[in-house]
Amino acid sequence: MATVAATDRAAKAPRSAQRTWLWGALLALPTAWMVAFFVSSMAIIVLLSFGRTTNDGYPAFALRTANYRAIWNDVYLELFVRSLVYALATVVISVLIAYPVAYTIARHGGRYKNALIAAIVVPFFASYLIRMYAWKALLSDEGLVNSGLRKTGLSDGVTFLNTPWAVVGGLVYGFVVYMILPIYASLERLDGSLIEAGKDLYHGPVRTFFSVTLPATRPGLYGGILLVFLPALGDFVSAQLLGGANTYMMGNLVQQQFAEGQNWPLGSALTVGMMAALTVLMVIYLRATSTQAREGS
Amino acid sequence: MRTRRLERRPRFGVFVTVLFFGWLYLPILAVALFSLNDKKSLSAFSGFSLRWYDDLVHNSALISSLVASLEIATVSAVGSLVLGTMLALGLERVRGRRGRVIGAVTLLPLVTPEIVTGVAALLLFTGIGLKLSMTTVILAEVTFSIAYVTVIVRGRLAGISMEVEEAARDLGCTPFQALRLVTIPTLVPALVGAGLLVFALVFDDFVLAFFTTGVDPQPLPVRVYSSIRFGVSPAINAIGTLMLLGSALLIVAALTVPRLFNRGTSSLDLITGGQR
Repeated sequence: MATVAATDRAAKAPRSAQRTWLWGALLALPTAWMVAFFVSSMAIIVLLSFGRTTNDGYPAFALRTANYRAIWNDVYLELFVRSLVYALATVVISVLIAYPVAYTIARHGGRYKNALIAAIVVPFFASYLIRMYAWKALLSDEGLVNSGLRKTGLSDGVTFLNTPWAVVGGLVYGFVVYMILPIYASLERLDGSLIEAGKDLYHGPVRTFFSVTLPATRPGLYGGILLVFLPALGDFVSAQLLGGANTYMMGNLVQQQFAEGQNWPLGSALTVGMMAALTVLMVIYLRATSTQAREGS
Repeated sequence: MRTRRLERRPRFGVFVTVLFFGWLYLPILAVALFSLNDKKSLSAFSGFSLRWYDDLVHNSALISSLVASLEIATVSAVGSLVLGTMLALGLERVRGRRGRVIGAVTLLPLVTPEIVTGVAALLLFTGIGLKLSMTTVILAEVTFSIAYVTVIVRGRLAGISMEVEEAARDLGCTPFQALRLVTIPTLVPALVGAGLLVFALVFDDFVLAFFTTGVDPQPLPVRVYSSIRFGVSPAINAIGTLMLLGSALLIVAALTVPRLFNRGTSSLDLITGGQR
């Protein structure tokens, strides 16, 4: 009896030991990679945000708060608020577009569902840059829209570019897919009979939508809001290609400090400030949505 | 009357969807159309011509950028496939706190704005004295892409029963053999899909490349960006059309290849969170 148990254990023990060894070894290299190239880069940016620029223009580590005091001024705060407003506008417009589109495809797409979603996904994952350029070409003063307006005599031409609308429009065009996909996924999982039951109980389609469909798809919606808000807030391509100096966002500011202004410590402080603001917003958002989800269920 | 409306196609929804598809494709089709224009105009199509494409072929700076981008995308796809798969396999088995922490850290690049990842990588590379070049772009892109591979492979792993691997172990395989002979082959569709997706994403990626590239050769998106900033031209339309076509084909392949294997989840299901 004892020997059986012993051999049993002997047969099992080394196996599980080997397991952990192999799986641990598998984890080691990618973990080391992420620490070496991601975690450490984040640490460096935090360190350099307390740094200074030497007399000959090189960034150097130091322990000063001058960079943070420098970014706490009206110009930067205005830019920060503007970025926030643009990103929120992008989220709201994206929801208004994405929900009807996702709903129509998920519930009425029939056998073309997958094809329709693929038709959305493919251009969205193909070159963000070229899609921004496409808008620039279309809306420019010599572009198709303006020449159309001139030909039909509707107007002598409208300046679309360099307006907040162009920038926000670009952001929506760039990121709306991140709203459509999660909403679509949660609508797909939604049991159609729930909606029918809702109709039996509440009658009106509007009331059914707000008391059954919308609550049931809340996780997808909340996820989509996050996935659109994050890249929109950090974007600088839309503002640079479709906007101008008076529509610049935080991303443009960071980009200028690193690529043009060459004040890396200041740029680092801006980046850290941006990440700190993002983290605070995220925590508030996740708390609010998780309580709401709990109340909803 | 009102209750029946939900069963029919909601007119409003169909209307928004049609408008949306128009809005999505119109600018892209305009770019493609005017790349074939024989005049410089971007609003009046005067005749068919391939002259802008002909210009591209003879633009050696552009060609070297294209080659650089293809190299960067290939090496990054292979690198992130290897590391991302190792990570996915490890995370699937190493539970508990250690697994959770590692899992969270590796997903961080997905929720960090790309500009932050970009400038952080720039600081790191200059900090350790690495000269900015194609190598630094690749290092940054691999770091960023690992998360994509891990998410896709873990999605596939979740659908594979561990018992098959256990059976292989009972038949005398070492853990490594079980992995190599049983688990990895079932992962092939997911790996192909993830590889194609990462290739397309890296090839098109502008932000990371912008911050981590050296002067020569510049990756294609970076070169295109600097000409776009100066304005709109038919030559950019031509290169843009080719870039869109190329990555569209890759994405289509990434979505359909896992389906061709006809086994469970495709990348599309993974992107959309799976279906019932």
